[in-house]
Amino acid sequence: MRDRVLRWRTELLLAAILLGVVAVNVSLSPFYLRTGNFVNMFQLSIEKAIVAVIMTLVIINGEIDLSVASVMGFSAAVMAALHEGGSVPFAVAVLVALLAGAGAGLLHGLFVARMGLPSLVVTIAGLIGFRGAARILVGDRSIGDFPEWFDRLGQDPLVGRFSLAFIIFVVGIVAAGVVLQRTAFGRAVYVIGNNAKVARYSGISVDRVKLVLLTTSGFVAGLAGVLFAARLGSVRGNLAEGFELDIITMVLLGGVSIFGGSGTLVGVALSILIILNLRSGLGLANIQATTQTGIIGALLIASVLVPNLVDRFGRWRRRSGPAAMPPPASSDTAAGEVRPVVTDPNRTAHRG
Amino acid sequence: MSGTAAGPAERAAVGRRPRPKLRPERLRELSLLAVIGVSVLVFSQLVDNYLSGSFFNRVTTSMAITAVLAAAQTIVILTRNIDLSVGSIVGVTAYVTGEYLAAHQTTAPVLAVGLAMLMGCVLGLLNGTLVAYGRVPSIIVTLGTLAIYRTWLIDHARSRTITADSLPQWLVEFPQRTVVSFGGLDIRLVLTVAVVVILVLQLALGRLRWGRWVYAVGSNPDAARQEGLPTERITLGAFAMCGALSGLAGFMFLSRFGTITVAAGQGLELASVAAAVVGGVSILGGSGTLVGALLGALLIDLLELSLVRVPEISVFWRDAVLGALILLAIAGDFAIGKRLRRFWTSPPRHSSKPPEREATTDA
Amino acid sequence: MVGISKRFDATQALGGVSLTLYPGEVHALVGENGAGKSTLIKIMTGIHPADEGTILVNGEQVTLRSSAEAQRHGIAAIYQEPTIYPDLNVAENIFMSHRDQGIMVRWGRMYREAEAILARLDVRLDVRGLASGLSVAAQQAVEIAKAMSLDVRVLIMDEPTAALSAHEVTQLFRQVRHLTASGVAVLFISHRLDEVFEIADRVTVLRDGRRISSTPRDQVTPQRAIRDMVGREMSEFFARTEHPRGGLAIRVSGIGRTGAFGDVSFEVHKGEVLGLAGLVGAGRTDVALALFGIAPAESGSVELEGRPVMIRSPREALRHGIAYLSEDRRQLGLSLPQSVTANITLATLDRYVTRLGLVDSSAEHAVADRFRRRLSIRTPSLETPVERLSGGNQQKTMLAKWLNAEPTVLILDEPTRGIDVGAKAEVHHIIDELARSGMAIILISSDLPEVLAMSDRILVMREGRQVGVFGRSEATEEGIITAAMGAA
Repeated sequence: MRDRVLRWRTELLLAAILLGVVAVNVSLSPFYLRTGNFVNMFQLSIEKAIVAVIMTLVIINGEIDLSVASVMGFSAAVMAALHEGGSVPFAVAVLVALLAGAGAGLLHGLFVARMGLPSLVVTIAGLIGFRGAARILVGDRSIGDFPEWFDRLGQDPLVGRFSLAFIIFVVGIVAAGVVLQRTAFGRAVYVIGNNAKVARYSGISVDRVKLVLLTTSGFVAGLAGVLFAARLGSVRGNLAEGFELDIITMVLLGGVSIFGGSGTLVGVALSILIILNLRSGLGLANIQATTQTGIIGALLIASVLVPNLVDRFGRWRRRSGPAAMPPPASSDTAAGEVRPVVTDPNRTAHRG
Repeated sequence: MSGTAAGPAERAAVGRRPRPKLRPERLRELSLLAVIGVSVLVFSQLVDNYLSGSFFNRVTTSMAITAVLAAAQTIVILTRNIDLSVGSIVGVTAYVTGEYLAAHQTTAPVLAVGLAMLMGCVLGLLNGTLVAYGRVPSIIVTLGTLAIYRTWLIDHARSRTITADSLPQWLVEFPQRTVVSFGGLDIRLVLTVAVVVILVLQLALGRLRWGRWVYAVGSNPDAARQEGLPTERITLGAFAMCGALSGLAGFMFLSRFGTITVAAGQGLELASVAAAVVGGVSILGGSGTLVGALLGALLIDLLELSLVRVPEISVFWRDAVLGALILLAIAGDFAIGKRLRRFWTSPPRHSSKPPEREATTDA
Repeated sequence: MVGISKRFDATQALGGVSLTLYPGEVHALVGENGAGKSTLIKIMTGIHPADEGTILVNGEQVTLRSSAEAQRHGIAAIYQEPTIYPDLNVAENIFMSHRDQGIMVRWGRMYREAEAILARLDVRLDVRGLASGLSVAAQQAVEIAKAMSLDVRVLIMDEPTAALSAHEVTQLFRQVRHLTASGVAVLFISHRLDEVFEIADRVTVLRDGRRISSTPRDQVTPQRAIRDMVGREMSEFFARTEHPRGGLAIRVSGIGRTGAFGDVSFEVHKGEVLGLAGLVGAGRTDVALALFGIAPAESGSVELEGRPVMIRSPREALRHGIAYLSEDRRQLGLSLPQSVTANITLATLDRYVTRLGLVDSSAEHAVADRFRRRLSIRTPSLETPVERLSGGNQQKTMLAKWLNAEPTVLILDEPTRGIDVGAKAEVHHIIDELARSGMAIILISSDLPEVLAMSDRILVMREGRQVGVFGRSEATEEGIITAAMGAA
């Protein structure tokens, strides 16, 4: 039992924070806990949340995809440009847009998986390139006038109070959770993120996993872009600009380690709820959206800083001297001194 | 660089491979220069009047800011960290300095620069403290401060914009000031400042003990800590330096654009990382040079500005092509660099442990 | 009597252990896993405090509260994996730990002093070269040079020879003698008793946290030492059981890879153990990596049970029935934070997948349990992360992973490196059993006595080529070393 608690301690902490935030919000507004409110809260950020799901797997795998926001814009632009051209039925335009997203992800995946380039750098290039491609397609204009069914799918609820995007999010996160925790593929994602060499030497096709993940990331970004366009009713060249940072914040706040190899979708779900409730509550308190972003930034830092400090304080209390660093593992250590390649919290915090 | 410890008999037999004079970093810098040269040649064919003085001036002025930021980022990356908040630091320092100068027109230029750099340094110190002493991964810290600093700026500015006409004359004219001219080619003051700062820092990193510590911490943080290096202070220093340089870039930004909105500097952080990486700085830390970052910035800005001038390529194509080119640069560099590095350092054919550094196929 | 003496108690790890080191002496410390050697080292280097007892350096009592403080008293340690800065050059690596240096770096002087120290150790390295380009042995030499430059009084060497070939070990010992000649006391910890008895002046045995004996080398024999370590009589090497060999399992003809090895041909029958001997760098692991698909051969052919096969990835290798247990279990063999169960099923996950694509955890658990019993893997539970297991048990877990793949050909690369005598014997027992059950085994090992004891035939490689095949009866240590090193 104690082991279980320890293993899920991040998620438990997040749940506690969420309860705290909701409690404060309820005290600010008695109507807070209504379903309608709950759904509304998601509305503005649902596309980000959808992408956060796949981003979680990508980061657990030890990679990162900074291009997602640009791919969102790119696929929306593809759809809009095809629609403007008028030669294809809109449904086909949407399909092509989704394929374009997947194609973008595939491109990144090939560079990362086959050529071995660091995903941080490859996807920065993608971030720049695909944003540019979006601008090529849409120029300075704003393209709208989408078919009514499309706009309705984006803006109106589909089932009960829940919009299509929301349903996609819920289905997506549950499916991804199952894949991650209960399938061989998910196991591979964790192991590769932890130590790709061991995975390779164990017969796991590391390249294939990375390729699949990055392609899926592109596809999901494409999907999110299309959904966003439906919600907005129009497409501009700067659609979803800057979203990547919010999305990554959602994932990291959820306890997913930037080094790869650990984290759960439960944590990310909680973190999304925290962020949304926090924004909602701050909005109730009349705090501006931009200030909200700053507060979330502080929360992100605190989510790692506070447990660190608590840990160190505890360790300091327990021994009389200062906490010392473990030496490199001697071959016959029975205690868990791991060669710091994997777990040192001070090691690089960015993908390579 | 044969790496075998040999006995008396074998020592003679092993002999010495002719040791090349070039270190891998010099090689990278040279290849960058080559690529820049080739690009100039190619573009001179595609664009009329490409090789003109005014274009040179444009590129060098624009590149000065990117170069300073790339250098700032490099110092942090060398310690195995990253600073995503540099864009926000640029925004804050540009804005506040502009604000101050608008209100105190007679401030000496040096003081203005100092103010910007001091502010940047303080912001950098906050980053560094959280990373070094709070043990929070730098990507998380700087993602957070990117938002926090920007939010602070928005709150502070309350939708007021700094406009060029409110600024002292010398500041507005600063980008034009020239140190020396060759015909139409001006060596501008901004460029000189950037280059001098970078060269001085490069020397410092090579000659000062603190500089070597920066490389050591990035190359093997655990060894550094074990050997008693003041790793926290080194990291803190790197972030402070990065902040100060970002402040300098903020000043340059202010002087270049004059009009500063609350969105100033947004997005510059990624450009700084891209420039550093193209310039040969390893994302894993411990290797790379500031001069390389400078050349990386030059290459990226050159490509960006050149593409605009090619008549066949519309404005909107610029970023797309730029992204593709960056990708090509990195890919090409990895492929060539790996081969060349193998040739230069000739690791033993079959070490019993695959060197961790070579793990390019595994993230 | 000048040196260090200790007496201390730590709750589980050590009970009243005393140790005296004399300058210029090599003092060996041996013991099984869990005997307390690492704890002792950590106390001596200031990483953990002792609960009871005193440490005297040169007669003065000291308290070591940090590794920096230990260093100041002249105590330093070198571990199995060298600690170097890969991106810095050799000279910087040597001098980086010096604390009393100026603000400016004097490159010229640093290079000269580095060369001087390396010369004192009789080691030839390019001080301007990057450390990342050095072999493990060379990196260790740099670490020793580092210690020398700091004027250490006590140098602790923890399993320094684990990653070295016989030739490099000789060089290392020469460096150690240079050290002791200048008055340094060396504490040498190793599982390789033959080396211990070659280099040590005094041997101390620890068992279960207590000091069992501490005798000058000429008054003790390896058998005595083993008995003290283990508490019972035990021969160090397992005797192979006789059994007939089966059909041809694998035939390799003329395989090669540029830059790694060339023209290697051999056969292994089912039930046979083929030993691959040679110096580190001879190309044995490269051959294994080729057979396992990590770095496939460019020329030549491989036949499995008579059928020609092309192996281009570990997945294909596994499908064809070839498994490879790598020499570096921490970096390449095990996913350390994952449980024992997850590691055991890592290479064979498709077998435990239900129709829906989900993993059947009870089936996994059953398999893991079976292996735990069969290989005597000692672990608090099957869900324990393997990083918490001792070296020997980690090795067994890794072995279980590959055995679960039911290979026809099992390639073992240094399977007993860095594990204690007891676990080593267990591994040998398992190898023998596997051979008896019809598995073809290729054993790569730098431990010559092990190779001689376990192999039915021995293939020697040198610089990427095979230079000799020895049958079990005709193989001798001298013969193999001669072949491995070329005409002496």
